[in-house]
Amino acid sequence: MEAFVEGFHTVLQPANIFWIVIGGFLGTIVGMLPGLGPATAVAVLIPVTFGMNPTSALILMGAIYYGAMYGGSRSSILLNTPGDGSAIAATFDGYPMAQQGRAGEALAISTVASFIGGILAAIGFIFLAEPLASFALKFGPAEYFLLMLLTLSAIVSLSIGKMVKGFIAMCLGLLISTIGIDAQTGVHRFTMDIPHLSEGIEFLIVIIGVYAVGEVFYNFLTIDKDSMKEKKKVSRIWFTKEDWKRSKWPIIRNAPLGFIVGVLPGAGGSIASMMSYSTEKQLSKKPEEFGNGAVEGLAAPESSNNAASVGAMIPLLTMGIPGSGTTAVMLGALIMLGIRPGPMLFENDPGMVWTFINSMFIGNIALIIINILLVGLLIKILDTPAKVLYPIIIILAFIGTYTLSYSTVDYFMLLLFGVIGLFMKIMDFPIAPLVLAIIVGGDMEQNFRMALTASNGSFGIFFDSAISITLIIVTVLSLFYPLLIKLLRKKQKDEEKGISA
Amino acid sequence: MKAVKIGMPVAMILISLTFLISSFSIPRANLGNPNGPLYFPIGLSVFMLVLSVIYLFNELKTLNEENKNIKALFEGRVLKLIGVTIVLGVIYALIFETLGFLISTVIFLGGLLFYVNGVKKWMVNLIVTFAFSFIAWYGFSELLGVSLP
Repeated sequence: MEAFVEGFHTVLQPANIFWIVIGGFLGTIVGMLPGLGPATAVAVLIPVTFGMNPTSALILMGAIYYGAMYGGSRSSILLNTPGDGSAIAATFDGYPMAQQGRAGEALAISTVASFIGGILAAIGFIFLAEPLASFALKFGPAEYFLLMLLTLSAIVSLSIGKMVKGFIAMCLGLLISTIGIDAQTGVHRFTMDIPHLSEGIEFLIVIIGVYAVGEVFYNFLTIDKDSMKEKKKVSRIWFTKEDWKRSKWPIIRNAPLGFIVGVLPGAGGSIASMMSYSTEKQLSKKPEEFGNGAVEGLAAPESSNNAASVGAMIPLLTMGIPGSGTTAVMLGALIMLGIRPGPMLFENDPGMVWTFINSMFIGNIALIIINILLVGLLIKILDTPAKVLYPIIIILAFIGTYTLSYSTVDYFMLLLFGVIGLFMKIMDFPIAPLVLAIIVGGDMEQNFRMALTASNGSFGIFFDSAISITLIIVTVLSLFYPLLIKLLRKKQKDEEKGISA
Repeated sequence: MKAVKIGMPVAMILISLTFLISSFSIPRANLGNPNGPLYFPIGLSVFMLVLSVIYLFNELKTLNEENKNIKALFEGRVLKLIGVTIVLGVIYALIFETLGFLISTVIFLGGLLFYVNGVKKWMVNLIVTFAFSFIAWYGFSELLGVSLP
């Protein structure tokens, strides 16, 4: 409790409030841009955090992240183009609402839903983070290796229908992470005698390359087509009593759902919002209204995806394991700043952790103000042609890369990974497994080898503890998840056929 | 279209083969298990190779199906946009340290804006270029203490 209050005081320092508002605002803007989501927002804004003290940097990145979650639904509602996966569900009913002249209501209810989801999840964070951190202290190298394996395989198998591509992306990421001097033996691997490669490929460059440059390249595919898209007029930014009556329970019950999904490795905002949407549709007395502007169909996923974004930070901070693309990007940036998230963070630096937790409350309050009061300004920014904004994202990516190593050699690397990211997107590869693998790859290999050294080379160590066995079972189950979904869908189709016949 | 469809799995096969072959030329370690640094890369590149071959067969099966992304890549000026960005990026890399942050950023961003946004909107392009370059320079070097050339 003392740490909580202390953290609250730190957050209220003017500098920290300033960074929360700036982060929330910038995150909202990048999240709003069609085709760009929170991972891109955090990636291009990483350089802003350099030179800051680590606590402020963490607060800022958090604000950018959930700011982008708020912003993502703006473009879903107004333009029918979601910024990223977790904003897709907002197009189902948000855009129809806008078409019916209810854009203002849609924007307001989605903001309020995001706010409530974020706040409820932050409360959940307080109760779950510390127990999880102390549980994670029991993990040895074998358990860590298996946990990373589970996270990677979960993120691959949850990208349904892309399993082969997902595992290829994962292998590529892990192989890239082996480039450079081996931390255990000092042996050079795949450095091709290029001195620049001996320190390995900086993972933030890969991240900025695929998430910023690659995403902009991908958006070039439609840049000359999108400009004609008609945008809906926004009149009044508030919702009716009827809207609130219909949405309040969906908002409240989907926050815990999103939160839990967010905590699970591999899942995240996209899955949370889809689950919430279908749950509400099934619970609704008027399921036929879903897809035609049902306000609860917008509110539920918005609450849930924001809660998921808060939940996703729990494994990141307590175990040092990111469960999604965006948290992977955050981990990369934190390591750059010299912060090593993990169970020890709670022991060594409780001040930082509690300040961050408190910042989520303040951040969500700041964001509801930004998104309701400044909605006119935000919509004007959405009017700014993409043709101006994409070059700015590109230049930000370049500047960010330079600030990482002060070397222009990395610009070539940035372009290379931009092109790789583009082709991965074109060929429908999931990006998150690549990014996650590059970041956890080094640790994963070291833990694997440390476990084997401790056991004198016996693989038995991976089956030694109850935690390990549980992790293995869940990993294997996660691999069968797509198969299960396929069977369920087939069964559903057969039943429908049976009924119609 | 087909070239891209087959090119991707072939590229993945080549990448995994390159990693696999060069894994064997990793020097043996003097510390601990001499083959320690090899296991992970070899295991991964074999796994990736197998998956890439499966992927190749999957693509061959659906070779005649249309992929709207690939189609879009060859439409209009998309390839040119990407190409110009890359060329400008390379130029940026070459002039960044000699000409300094401000001038090279003005050239890069200005060039990109004029090409992407069109010459007709020269006014917007110029304002954005100069305003952004100056704000970025001021923000990074003065406010955040990042040293820029």
